[in-house]
Amino acid sequence: MDELFEPDGTPRAVARPLVDALERLGHDGLMDAGRRRDAIFVAQAITFETTGEGGATHERPFPLDLVPRILAASEWDSIKHGLAQRIRALNHFVDDVYHGREIVRQGLVPWRLVASCPHFERAVHDIHPPGGVYTHVAGCDLVRDRDGTWRVLEDNVRVPSGVSYVLENRAAMARLVPELFARYAVRPIEHYPQILLRALRAMAPSAASDATVVVWTPGPANPAYFEHAFLARQMGVELVEASDLVVRDDMLYLRTTRGLERAHTVYRRLDDAFIDPLAFRPDSLLGVPGLIRAYRAGNVAIANAPGTGVADDKAIYRFVPEMIRFYLSEEPILQNVETYLLSDPEVLEHVLEHLDTLVIKPTGESGGRGVMIGPDAEESEIVRMRGVLTAEPDRWIAQDLVELSTVPTLGSDGALHPRHVDLRPFAVFGERVDIIPGGLTRVALEEGSLIVNSSRGGGSKDTWVLADGVEPEAPVPTLADTAAPELPDLRFGQWNDQQQQQQQQGPSD
Amino acid sequence: MHFTIRYLSEYRYGGPVTDNLNALRVRPAATLCQQCDEFQTRIAPEARMTRHLDYFGTEVQEFAVVAPHDELTIDVRARAITRAPSPPPDGTWGGLQSRAYLDAAGEYVLPWKDQPATPGLDQLQERIRAESPLQTLRLLCQEIPQRFEYRRGATYVSSDVGHLLETGAGVCQDFAHLAIVLLRRHGIAARYVSGYLWAASTDGGAKSMEVDTHAWLEALLPSAEPGGEPGWVSADPTNSGLADESYVKIGHGRFYSDVPPVKGIYRGTARSELSATVTMARLDLADSALAAA
Repeated sequence: MDELFEPDGTPRAVARPLVDALERLGHDGLMDAGRRRDAIFVAQAITFETTGEGGATHERPFPLDLVPRILAASEWDSIKHGLAQRIRALNHFVDDVYHGREIVRQGLVPWRLVASCPHFERAVHDIHPPGGVYTHVAGCDLVRDRDGTWRVLEDNVRVPSGVSYVLENRAAMARLVPELFARYAVRPIEHYPQILLRALRAMAPSAASDATVVVWTPGPANPAYFEHAFLARQMGVELVEASDLVVRDDMLYLRTTRGLERAHTVYRRLDDAFIDPLAFRPDSLLGVPGLIRAYRAGNVAIANAPGTGVADDKAIYRFVPEMIRFYLSEEPILQNVETYLLSDPEVLEHVLEHLDTLVIKPTGESGGRGVMIGPDAEESEIVRMRGVLTAEPDRWIAQDLVELSTVPTLGSDGALHPRHVDLRPFAVFGERVDIIPGGLTRVALEEGSLIVNSSRGGGSKDTWVLADGVEPEAPVPTLADTAAPELPDLRFGQWNDQQQQQQQQGPSD
Repeated sequence: MHFTIRYLSEYRYGGPVTDNLNALRVRPAATLCQQCDEFQTRIAPEARMTRHLDYFGTEVQEFAVVAPHDELTIDVRARAITRAPSPPPDGTWGGLQSRAYLDAAGEYVLPWKDQPATPGLDQLQERIRAESPLQTLRLLCQEIPQRFEYRRGATYVSSDVGHLLETGAGVCQDFAHLAIVLLRRHGIAARYVSGYLWAASTDGGAKSMEVDTHAWLEALLPSAEPGGEPGWVSADPTNSGLADESYVKIGHGRFYSDVPPVKGIYRGTARSELSATVTMARLDLADSALAAA
């Protein structure tokens, strides 16, 4: 389905003012805006490094399509509640997996599946993070199927990236094509850095209200370095690398020109494997030795918590609806895509017979790597995949193919063509779950393609959530409001004794 | 048997080093056939020690020496009492499929994913299989030391099974890893065990000896009784048989890197020398003579 046009080619009601405005801009106006857009993005280094199948990489301006995507208020409402529910359940799952394993005891998730997740981190077993939150920043990928139903395609609760593009896209759109906004009340998103900073401060293990937050980047060579620097700058906190940090006496310190300064919360933008060589990868000397000790001692908060990768594993994904029912006693608001685990021989057989209609994904990869889309695959590829799946069924999942909705997208010819899209909203879990309206809409720029990943040549769109009829939002915090709540003062009076008398009697008869 | 164990590590660095962080897994475990009644660790230079149990239940002691130093001493003393394990269950191959077995086996029966496909493993697996899991375990412990030479320096701390197969030689860590890989390929759950071994004959002789930290394995064997519980059985593929009361277990994991005795990192010169000794003494030789009288 197309989100802006009816099947007969007329604009849907919500899209009519937009289509009119695009027509008034005309071919020349749009092409001109496109040229200005590329110049701005290159000048600001808003670029993305793409990796081809051969492993070669190159930088290019992040491709923003000038036609926005429009989501009605009611639609967004349901997405927002569905995501908040899902993220709470995922957070419960992470906590459970590293502590009581209740969901395993109940027979809902097989332990062996958990233990074989590559991102199940035994080193953080039994650690309680400040506030009980693990999945501070989540970016779940949503798609709409043929009848328009929203479904979750993938959960991302390790180091999801892309939010800087959401903010930059909006800023660029407002500058390049302000006339498109004229007849819409689009909900703002610019406060994301404040929401993030508030959550990072709220989790800080600090008695004082001036907790020090840092953003930890692997460095300028990282494809998402632009975003790391962007977020640090927007939040007004230090952008650091491993060499700027040191753990002493189980506390994390930041090296500054004034000497060591304690850091309370680290928003790390690198994988678990590279944060502490003592706890993870013994063959790696990257990271900050002792960080996990400081974390276990409760002296530093880490966002996202180490070990969250167990919850966004592609095989675990299938159990998220069960998690929602088990931990929250609620019915899932957002549906999964039907997913098949191949460890069951009968399921494997069914999948092998229908390889040409299914999507096959490796469980240990991300960014669309290694994915086979059955209907698009050559016969030889299907034959090869059949052998691979038979040999190592545990390393793959199969999913029903989702058609993906389309949104009109400006082609190089200056005309609009329907192109497939997904949506990655960004949620921040601090004292509550906050989700900025919309998110990153990724668009497959080639006709018919379902691969939207920016590392594989996808583009993006500004995503508008309309303001009409929305439920009242919590007020947008300003920077001044984002200080952590202070501890209660000492007005509660004097110390009191607290004991329990042992008072069981003998068995009654 | 009743042992005192002293595990002394002395590091000498080629120059002053700082931020020397270490994690020790050296304390004898409490198990059904073993207890540890005294345990202390001293660090020089002095350092504050924190303890926790890791995912596998092994006690971990962590410390850090921050100020510049050019020597580090880790001096561990323990007393442990062991008794002979109960006779191993000799259930059938079919027992490996039971619900009780698979539940107890957990992740220790999963294929070893870090292990690249290694030529030679298939043939070994085929040849070393007997009429029951227990007989296979025994056979494995006999075959490995016959096929491979025990030679220090043939492999490294991070060597994999492929390295052992290539060079034809290795140390107890490599032998244990190979046995674990083969057992799992047969569907038998197996885990790596780190500990101390009293390597003298059990019936007297020396009262005290210098040994080394040792590595062996535990295999989960199905019960011979229908519906019975499976049991973990210790076996030593370096010394050709099942383990007895001369083995003092520290802990277990999927493989070596889950339970290394000392794991550390420091800032400073790469040059360092290590002298590590494990001295074990038996306290019960006189007692057992008395008991016999």
